[in-house]
Amino acid sequence: MTAALSLPLRAAIAFLAAAQSIDSLPPRHSPRSVAIDERLAADYSIRLGDTIVIAATPAAVGDTVVVSALVRRSRDPSEVARGAYRIRVHLDQLQRLVGYGDRVERFAVGTDGRTATDSALAAIDAAAFGFRAYSSREIAVESSTTFLVVSRFHRAIGVITIVASAIFLLCIMLLKVDERRRDVAALRLMGISRRTIVRSVVLESALIAVLGSIAGVAIGAIVSAFVNWHYQRVYRTPLTFSLVTAQIVAIAVGLSLGLGIFAGLLAAQRLVRQPPLSLFRR
Amino acid sequence: MILTLARASLVRHRARTLLAILGVAVSAAMLLDMVMLATGMRVSFGSLLLSQGFQIRLAPKGTLPFDTDATIPDASNVVRTLMARPDVVAVSPVLGAQLHVEHGATSVSAAALGTIAAVQGDYKLLIGHAPTRDDEIVANDALLMALGANVGDTLRVAAGFDPQLRTFTGQRTLRAVGRVHFIYLSAGERALAMPLESLQAMEGASRTDRASLFMVRLRAGANVESARSAIEQTVHTVSAISTETAIQQVEQRLSYFRQLAFILGSVSLAVGFLLVTTLVTVSVNERLGEFAVLRAIGVRRTRILEQIMLESAVIMIVGAVAGLGLGLVTARYLNSILAAFPGLPEAISFFLFQPRDAWLSLGLLALCGILAGIYPAWRGASLPIGPTLREEAVA
Repeated sequence: MTAALSLPLRAAIAFLAAAQSIDSLPPRHSPRSVAIDERLAADYSIRLGDTIVIAATPAAVGDTVVVSALVRRSRDPSEVARGAYRIRVHLDQLQRLVGYGDRVERFAVGTDGRTATDSALAAIDAAAFGFRAYSSREIAVESSTTFLVVSRFHRAIGVITIVASAIFLLCIMLLKVDERRRDVAALRLMGISRRTIVRSVVLESALIAVLGSIAGVAIGAIVSAFVNWHYQRVYRTPLTFSLVTAQIVAIAVGLSLGLGIFAGLLAAQRLVRQPPLSLFRR
Repeated sequence: MILTLARASLVRHRARTLLAILGVAVSAAMLLDMVMLATGMRVSFGSLLLSQGFQIRLAPKGTLPFDTDATIPDASNVVRTLMARPDVVAVSPVLGAQLHVEHGATSVSAAALGTIAAVQGDYKLLIGHAPTRDDEIVANDALLMALGANVGDTLRVAAGFDPQLRTFTGQRTLRAVGRVHFIYLSAGERALAMPLESLQAMEGASRTDRASLFMVRLRAGANVESARSAIEQTVHTVSAISTETAIQQVEQRLSYFRQLAFILGSVSLAVGFLLVTTLVTVSVNERLGEFAVLRAIGVRRTRILEQIMLESAVIMIVGAVAGLGLGLVTARYLNSILAAFPGLPEAISFFLFQPRDAWLSLGLLALCGILAGIYPAWRGASLPIGPTLREEAVA
């Protein structure tokens, strides 16, 4: 098997060597490797091992390179709305292609812990080379303004939604308790105390709120999965758009329970304050 | 009679009616906001692009205007080629760069635009005159304030910074001859404008006769799309973008907001619909005897149907009208949040009020109100008179 495979290979090498000596061309360097965006590969049917030409401008003569790897976009939210493809090229090759000389735009420096980071920052800034060193934390704060804005917008929308839900819940509880006027009147006439009636109504509304919350969490999880599936396809990114965390579930259930108990209490208090006989009247 | 009965029914349970109206008002506010969000960005961005009368923009091939540092070569030849077209009235080449400005002991970096004063469409002059000489610039408030400078002051402006020597390169002494407002820049962004040739010269050989963007104004009545296509075929180094295409590209980038608007708008309508349906259904269930009596004394089925649907429509419309006011207040607040997006032109508004939006929201809610009343109305009107009266009497 090995021999069978090596024979044509040797023949090919011999043919190339012969071709080179006949043409008397200077020795050719084999094309260097490049890693390309998997979206670019999919859109233009480029496969691993294919040869492509990269150039700084459309009209310029570029370098012939071999696609040696496909890269997936990172989970960086700042890249989501950008449709541009990215390729990874050897540094010296890119510097030559774009006429940048021996220059880079930034250096990434790995440090060992927070203290080492601080001392490295101070040392680099003190060196008289015109550099300015930033910690990753500083850069994250600077570059996350867009997401802070979106986050604030979501919070404001969330507050409006909570107000609407609270009114809706209060209305429903009022109606539900109001529907039981006659039951409450009968209980009161049988000697059941106001407190017991209020407790039972509150318990009922709390139960409804918890059951509603469980259903809401389930719907939320399904919607979240759909949102991720849809937007990951739209933006062709592995980024997670919607997260249902334990903290979010706790806040939602807590809020719903609080609102449910408040609405039940309000409706029950309103009902037990009326004389039992008047509750029988329409 | 229908009106009196509907009014009496709504007033009978004041708290319930008030809560329902409040709920509908919040839903209506949300719906209006979402309708404004869905259309506002498009209208606002379109009017911003057309505000100076340029219908086509030419960016380096494969890019959007000022999306990268790429520039278009042979700028003067491109201008000549474009001006030779019979449908082109004006061409404004623009070169973008980052400059360092010194005034006294203060030094700040600023965005610089190289333009031709006679045809530029990037800024509005507030004080002074447009820069026409090599040593003249105009600056916006943000830059003048950062420098503590005024119109008439002399500034040291540099094209670059040499990190090895820690000195500015390509430095020139320029005079601020005007205060301007940059139309497409974000609020607070420091910027200046100067003659195109001056900026090209300051930037050195890499920017000689180059431009970042061309803005093209067409003759009135010219076909924008055919002109765009023809320009792209004539000038191979550019991507020609019409206002419509630019809006589509921006919409694509910000499609999230449009989809969010659609989802939240639909949810608002559904919540309003459910609220009114529930309320009116419970209200009808409580008054089965009343409807049976009305039917027994000869009131027609359609009259009962009308009365119940009127009740739901009144709740929906009163809530919607209250919600429109609330919606305008919340839209202003939400817009102030989104206006903080980095790099967003000051004139862009995500929530742009148009009377059509208010009518659309009101119409959708009124329709929902009518639909919400159908089931309870049908239930109230189709009661069997005898059994209902007997059940109610027993109860």
